[in-house]
Amino acid sequence: MSDDPNRESIPLLLQRPSMTTARPPAPEKPRLSIRVPSARVETTGKMGSLRSWLGAAGILLGVLLMMCAVFADLLASDLPIACKIHGKVVLFANVVEPADLVALGPEGIAREAEWSFGPLVQHGPGGRATSVTTNAEGPRAGHPFGTDLHGRDVFARVVHGTRTYLVFALGAVFAALLLGGLLGSIAGLFGGAPDALVGRAIETVSAFPPLVLVLGIQAAVPHATVVTLFFAIALTRWPEVARLIRAEVMQVATRDYVMAARALGASPLRVLRKHVAPNIRGQLAVLGAIGVPGVILIEASLDFLRVSAPMGAATWGETMSEFRDAHGAWWLLAFPGTFLALTVVALTLIAEARRDALDPRSRY
Amino acid sequence: MLAFALRRAIWAIPTLFGVSLVVFLLTTLLPDPPPAAAGADVDARLKVDDLRRARFLDLPRFANVAPRDVVTRVDECVAHIEKNDDDADLCERRLVQIGGAGLPYLLPRLDNLAPGPRGRIALALAPIARRMGVGEERDLGAPDRAALFWERFWEDRSVDFTEPAVRREVDRLVKRGSDLREEELRVVDTFALRQLVDGMRVTKDKEALVRITRLASHVTGRDGMIKSDDDASRVRAVISDWQSWWYVHETDYIGLQGGEKVTASIAQTRYAKWVLGAATGQLGLSTRDGVPVFDKLLSRAPVTLVMALLALLLAAAVAVPMGVLAAWRRGHAIDHVTALVLLAFYSLPTFLIAELLATFGRPEDARVLPVIALATVSLSVMTQQQRASMIEALGQDYIRVARAKGARTLRIAVVHALRNALVPTVTLAGVQFPALLGAAFVIEEVFGIQGMGWETLRAIESRDAAWIVAVTLLCAVVTTACLVLSDVAYGLLDPRVREQQMRRRRAT
Repeated sequence: MSDDPNRESIPLLLQRPSMTTARPPAPEKPRLSIRVPSARVETTGKMGSLRSWLGAAGILLGVLLMMCAVFADLLASDLPIACKIHGKVVLFANVVEPADLVALGPEGIAREAEWSFGPLVQHGPGGRATSVTTNAEGPRAGHPFGTDLHGRDVFARVVHGTRTYLVFALGAVFAALLLGGLLGSIAGLFGGAPDALVGRAIETVSAFPPLVLVLGIQAAVPHATVVTLFFAIALTRWPEVARLIRAEVMQVATRDYVMAARALGASPLRVLRKHVAPNIRGQLAVLGAIGVPGVILIEASLDFLRVSAPMGAATWGETMSEFRDAHGAWWLLAFPGTFLALTVVALTLIAEARRDALDPRSRY
Repeated sequence: MLAFALRRAIWAIPTLFGVSLVVFLLTTLLPDPPPAAAGADVDARLKVDDLRRARFLDLPRFANVAPRDVVTRVDECVAHIEKNDDDADLCERRLVQIGGAGLPYLLPRLDNLAPGPRGRIALALAPIARRMGVGEERDLGAPDRAALFWERFWEDRSVDFTEPAVRREVDRLVKRGSDLREEELRVVDTFALRQLVDGMRVTKDKEALVRITRLASHVTGRDGMIKSDDDASRVRAVISDWQSWWYVHETDYIGLQGGEKVTASIAQTRYAKWVLGAATGQLGLSTRDGVPVFDKLLSRAPVTLVMALLALLLAAAVAVPMGVLAAWRRGHAIDHVTALVLLAFYSLPTFLIAELLATFGRPEDARVLPVIALATVSLSVMTQQQRASMIEALGQDYIRVARAKGARTLRIAVVHALRNALVPTVTLAGVQFPALLGAAFVIEEVFGIQGMGWETLRAIESRDAAWIVAVTLLCAVVTTACLVLSDVAYGLLDPRVREQQMRRRRAT
């Protein structure tokens, strides 16, 4: 039996953002002498810290992925990190990409450089896919993750794909937070007609399955580009933000200190900035952390279905879609898939940890 | 309870309105058929016009200040011919298209026109006379003789050109049908079209339908005759084709009167025409293969919907016991193991799971694998919901009471706890269905199942706008319906929720 009812162990609680959370039960009441199995509590120090441990693991994983995205060029590139060529030393050629070295190409550099120090894998992600295909080849020396149907190095594509997806997803989520935050706080602050309007807009947009709406927009817009895709995805994600912000703003607006501020003549904007914003900042962080994997999953699905806008950059989805033409080429599926899954796991764990930190009630 | 369900359904109306607006805006994004080149011949211009009209592009978007009907169309044509401008040739052809329906507004005016335009119009009307089977070629060949002919024609025949007379004739044709009546109706030409199309809707008699469609295609020059040996499905297809054609072109043949003029300012707009058309299943033709989109939806949608439904049932069948077990053994190894397994399922994208199953699954399981792959989409969410609500239920006093009175463990778990803990999961299922619908698009592509998603991806490749719009609309309507059902189910299972929802809605 428990000695401290507040220190129960809690397994992972995964939730899709749209899911309605069941309220936790009332706090432990004084025990009757009957032993109810469900209320049995196993708390050891070790298990109790599982949750925070998982949160830390999530953050660690997230940081690793971020570094992977930031230092993609140092991990995989056609150009060396440092080399001495034609009598002068070039540093970080793979980041700066000097025109003469790019023109020389990897073979040229290898031929003409006195010495060079390359990145981990000496292949870049390669350009856009052409109709010319070769055989995909499995992991081997020089290509740790193998090559795809166009002879491009999978490791390079996976590493650079991290950058593509993280930048895209962070941007789309940021746009959604901005739009949702704006509309949600307008609805919450002013009530009445604006609220009704925003409410209907939220219901309308959530009536479309996200993937279907994005497909519809991409197909309907003439000359769809990455930008339309970006906004289409942001469009599918703002309602949940707006819904939360609206509820929070409404709740905060009834507090005494907000009323006092209003009585003192504070403008709605000031109330929003000084009194509401600090209250919802944490919730926004959770929404953002949940939103990023959501965006990445949709974007990867679109790439996999080959209906996404031409990105001009390496994506995991594109590599995985090549698996459909190269049966048995497991490395095309396994490596990007692992990265994708790790990203989702990392951000979900971070979101969970944030949510728990914000809402002590969820520690039942 | 019925009141609650009805109210909930009514609340969905603004949402549906919003959905229709969004999808309509999608349709306006689609590329328009290019307008005909300036020097193009009349046939090409008429063809482009028809294409544009089929998508109601000739109408204003939301408000029609000056709705056009047969009267204004005839006026416009006459004005162009009088001015003898670039559109004059086109207008001659249009007058022929409008045909008998325009004569009551055209022939009485012929006298007041200058001799030049009068002769020209009279000459241009010759194809109508041939269609009607009146007049002789020498009468129709020269301008002044033709004008005289039409003047006489109107003196003799204007009595036939009245709504009641035509309605009577069509009624008789439907009921008793004879060649003579068909001959008589042929004389009023397109003036009878409204009654004919109405007749198609009303009558079930094949012989009558044969006559009606023969008349209608004679006066419009369209295909779409029903033959006496056609089977029922072809008869239906032809009739629906006529109806959607009439829906697009009715204002060519009827004059708007009284109240119609007022409602026309809203009804004769692109949005209204599109929404009403979509609501009655007129979603246009697929540009990929020319099949009516509605028929395609009828054949493709059930595949996807049934698959999603089966997946939902499978997910529930796995999630409920798993969630209950995890809640019952909360904090134990099994709880952690399920959580980890679920995290794995949650983090793997649908297409990856599907691809793995498709690659490593046995081919003889091809019917089951897609459903399994789809079920994993909802599995973790549903299990977590079931676990959370089960934990809540187990913490309630009545469980303690049940224990106290000595009920058996299984009975407590199933009868007392699960019965209450199932409610949120059931309603969650309604919300999950749309998510499954979206994921089904991916699954279909991986397994090559020819459902809505497969068709949509082909449509994107060939830029088949009509299909994409229809699918988007259908998905949104299904989602809204699921939300309503889910709320109603919640209210049905839990009266407290019902009251709370009614109150909350009133408050906002």
